[in-house]
Amino acid sequence: MDIFYDAATRVASRSILDWKAAGKPVVGYTCSYTPAEIFHAAGILPVRLRGIETEGMEVGDTYFGPFICSFPKCILQLAGKGRFSFLDGAIITPGCDGMRRLDECWRKAGEDYEGIVPSYFYYFDVPHKAEDHGMKWYIEEIRLLIRGVEEHFQVTITDEKLRGAIRRFNDGRRLLSRLEAMRCEKDLRVSGTDAFAAIVAGTVMPRDDYTVVLEEWIDSLGKRADTLSEGKKRLMVVGSVSDEIDLFELIENTGKAIVVAENLCFGIRYEGNTIPEDDADPVEALAAHYLGSSVCPRMFGKYRERFELLKERIARTRVDGVVMQNIRFCDLHGAENALFERDLEAMGIPCLRVEREYGPHIDAGRMKLRINAFLERMGARGKTAAAI
Amino acid sequence: MSIVAGCDVGSLTSKAVIMKNGRIVGSHIIKSKPRPSDSADAAMDGAMAAAGVSKADIDYCIGTGYGREKIAFIDESVSEISCHGKGAHWLLPTARTVIDIGGQDCKTMKIDDNGQILKFTANDKCASGTGRFLEVMARVLGVSIDELGGFSRTARAPITLASTCTVWAQADVIKYLNSGVPIDDIGAGINTAMAARVAILVNAVKPEGDIFMTGGVAKNIGVVTTLEKLIGRTIKKARKADPQMAGAIGAALISGERVKGEG
Amino acid sequence: MRPEIREYNYDLLMGKTLRAAAMVPRGTSKETARTYGYIPYFKGIAKAFIDEGPPGITFLDLLATYYENILTAREQGKKIAATTFCNTPAILYAMDIVPATFEILTAIGCLVWKRGMFDYMDYSCEAGMPETSCSSQKGALGAFLAGLCESIDFVVCDTPGVCDTNANAFAFASAFLDKPFYQLNYPSTIGDDRSQKYHIDDYRAMVAFMETHSGKTLDYDRLANILREIDRQDALTAELEDMLMLVPTPVPPIYGLMTYAGRFCFAGHPIYTGLLESMVETARSRMAAGVPGLKSGDEKLRIFMCYIDHYTFDMNFYDYLGERGIAHTGSILARNFREGNKYVENLPDNSYRVDTSSPEAMFESLAQMNARMPMVRSIRGPYDQHGMWLEESLACANLYQADCIIYNGTPGCRNTWGMVKPYARDLEKYGFPVHIMYDDAFDDRVESWEASKERLDEFFHVRGLL
Repeated sequence: MDIFYDAATRVASRSILDWKAAGKPVVGYTCSYTPAEIFHAAGILPVRLRGIETEGMEVGDTYFGPFICSFPKCILQLAGKGRFSFLDGAIITPGCDGMRRLDECWRKAGEDYEGIVPSYFYYFDVPHKAEDHGMKWYIEEIRLLIRGVEEHFQVTITDEKLRGAIRRFNDGRRLLSRLEAMRCEKDLRVSGTDAFAAIVAGTVMPRDDYTVVLEEWIDSLGKRADTLSEGKKRLMVVGSVSDEIDLFELIENTGKAIVVAENLCFGIRYEGNTIPEDDADPVEALAAHYLGSSVCPRMFGKYRERFELLKERIARTRVDGVVMQNIRFCDLHGAENALFERDLEAMGIPCLRVEREYGPHIDAGRMKLRINAFLERMGARGKTAAAI
Repeated sequence: MSIVAGCDVGSLTSKAVIMKNGRIVGSHIIKSKPRPSDSADAAMDGAMAAAGVSKADIDYCIGTGYGREKIAFIDESVSEISCHGKGAHWLLPTARTVIDIGGQDCKTMKIDDNGQILKFTANDKCASGTGRFLEVMARVLGVSIDELGGFSRTARAPITLASTCTVWAQADVIKYLNSGVPIDDIGAGINTAMAARVAILVNAVKPEGDIFMTGGVAKNIGVVTTLEKLIGRTIKKARKADPQMAGAIGAALISGERVKGEG
Repeated sequence: MRPEIREYNYDLLMGKTLRAAAMVPRGTSKETARTYGYIPYFKGIAKAFIDEGPPGITFLDLLATYYENILTAREQGKKIAATTFCNTPAILYAMDIVPATFEILTAIGCLVWKRGMFDYMDYSCEAGMPETSCSSQKGALGAFLAGLCESIDFVVCDTPGVCDTNANAFAFASAFLDKPFYQLNYPSTIGDDRSQKYHIDDYRAMVAFMETHSGKTLDYDRLANILREIDRQDALTAELEDMLMLVPTPVPPIYGLMTYAGRFCFAGHPIYTGLLESMVETARSRMAAGVPGLKSGDEKLRIFMCYIDHYTFDMNFYDYLGERGIAHTGSILARNFREGNKYVENLPDNSYRVDTSSPEAMFESLAQMNARMPMVRSIRGPYDQHGMWLEESLACANLYQADCIIYNGTPGCRNTWGMVKPYARDLEKYGFPVHIMYDDAFDDRVESWEASKERLDEFFHVRGLL
């Protein structure tokens, strides 16, 4: 668990530093649409770029304007302070407007702060639709990315290597599915904080190590006798990007709640499904998974589909209530949370909708108040999702 | 007959209420001090003096408000949302939608016929929908909060105020003052700006039943009447006690429930 | 929402107001002057257009017709498509579908009413839209969500990846009102083979979607007529653009608004051609007489609005420009990027051509034209990339001899606020003083117009421009 916490709470975690010390490259990526398997197949450590441990915001605020979500600002702040010096490359995707502008802001900051732009800086153009020509475009983008990585890092990424990477990542996905199944049980052996730390760690740790440690850990959970769910409300966390362990800790430290599920872009939301390992074209298999099974509101016009998936997960994980958070200025999740709340409350599922800032918890007090009031509200009603 | 107490430490004011047999026997309100524990002590001391009781007489005390975790003498802390719901219900038993505009946030709650919270929303990412906004504006105009409230009635052409950000709003107010715009029009514009922001929150919960306001801003007649116009409903008033005390009252009521073994 | 706002539908109120305004100048000048006395509330905005002469009067008629088309769509058996300004309505007219363009419907309300579209914007937030989303959609959106407009049959937009907050508003409308939705989405580059092909594939899918949901097929004869009308419109616009290059320019500041609003409402429709003809004729005669387009008669400064204009009460922004003697050399909304325009010379990938020789050629013309609409053209990729916002802004500002560049947008504009500071800095490096406005083009509750004006004056003064 310590390895997971280290990976989840530190930008330059132990595993990254060890990898670098062995002389191997690291490439960061901003968004869940980047097939990390590509880098694994090239012997590169893929690392999800995050904004934890940010101090101050002078760099972020200099390039980004004031009306921008704090997530890309935190990433830029860290970059400006040299905290990403371990990166040999960065892949920027148009996850959303704020995140796509990280491309120019980071490069422009690089004109003022020497050495903060990784030598391989690539814009990976992900479409906002998964059908037909959208998928075709995405497949081409993946092939272009592969060629770019091959050229820059002087490696060859064969289909065989890609299949091998897919297999390796699938091992992790299968393990995380086991974790997910455990969290659906009535008697819980794992806290949301621990589970989330393990999930987030997977986005920054070398897959070979991660899979081994994850398997050991999940096996050990199976042997735990104690249950953590006594008298606690089961919650799901939904909404804007979050990789913040302290958010989960804040909820669970009330002693009255346990997070049994999340619908965030760090997590089982996209990890859960395995990718076919024997497809003739592994690139197409990757594309179908990464673009096709996405559940992000950036894929506009798919609210109904996402709501069905959410409902299904709520039923499966037996949550008592849903905490919907959006980072201020995240209009996509902000609007979708409102629709979710409307539709879930109509089904009798209590929801807490809250707007917040990403980053070092400047509004922990506020969040605590909201969570507590929400738990008090649920305590009085005594109705669970299972009863619906 | 048990004696119970509630202590609500807010950002602008701190309140304490002592109840016996469901009735208020003592209460006190003070301007909050920098340290929540000092505010709680001062408020409680005042309430106890008014009630003629000592700490030893109090069977149970609940603390609420943003500073509640720092109060040493309380038996339990409960969110101010739940306390306001209970307090509002006591003040107006028919209340089903509660609007609380406090010093630093604005909340709306739907409550059931026991004062239990069914739903709540809050908006506090900036000052412009809160008591802080009115305080700042009143100071710029050089009037009291009560006087500010009165301007909505006497204004002929209320200004449209830059209301999304308190800083911009201040700059606007100063400019209007310097241009000789009547103070009534400026004051009315301020009340309207405030009410408009609150109206969005209120309408978002789809108010049902009687609507009641708690918190200090409930006493600003300008904001209240403008808000009524915007949401198209009247906001009921209660005479039992000062609506600003709703949080502390609710805390005391919940204390009573605990003593009876109900909560 | 205030109960009284629910008394009348927004589109009905505004349509009738605009039609009445369009009829005011029909009498003698004495009758017109008399009428103003009866409409104290609307006098400012009505005069702003009527005093421009035939172009302004034609514009009022154009706007009234736009609203009336929405109001009479049902009885004419036509479907209504909610769409965005960067998606040309030409295709909708080719398919006999009525456009309801959110940003136009919002902007008009903001110009005509003192309270702007506040009630409807706030209603959007009550319904669940975040407060931080762009006000340009929020106004009209609120009216539709509240059922205070004719109902939408389906939603089409082309802003994912270009302006997500815009696309989000349309996706929200679709989810909230439970209406079919199609999004065109543009790649981050322009002019290269891949993206050119993608434009066509995507456009084809959109047309198929609209055929399904409107029950009408794309009529290529109709399309041919529309494209020929666009040819005429583009030629007239090019002439206005040429006159805008003159120093001083005979083109008044308000012509830019009328040019692009007319285009977003009626591209390919003769009513827009009429407006352009009127503008060109008036500008030509001014040019012949050596009269500058500014009411003050004295052109003291030339500004380039790199993004959008300001649309609050009574044309306050345009009046301000007129008073100060400031010529408006265009905005990101103003230029169509039709091949052959001078500003396109260094940005060939950004232009489109019109070819009516075959259905395929026509379709491609439309798809590529749509891909060159404002924002989707140059906001789609990193601003310093070839053909994107920086290059485009510099090309225009240089060609039209702007003395300075001003950014005006809304707090909801994630895509520009994400890089406007480095962009402004780069423009300064090229020798242009730049002013960033922190207001909202559609909502004076963010920054009052008085405050915006003060800051503009301060900028002009401090940089020695005025």
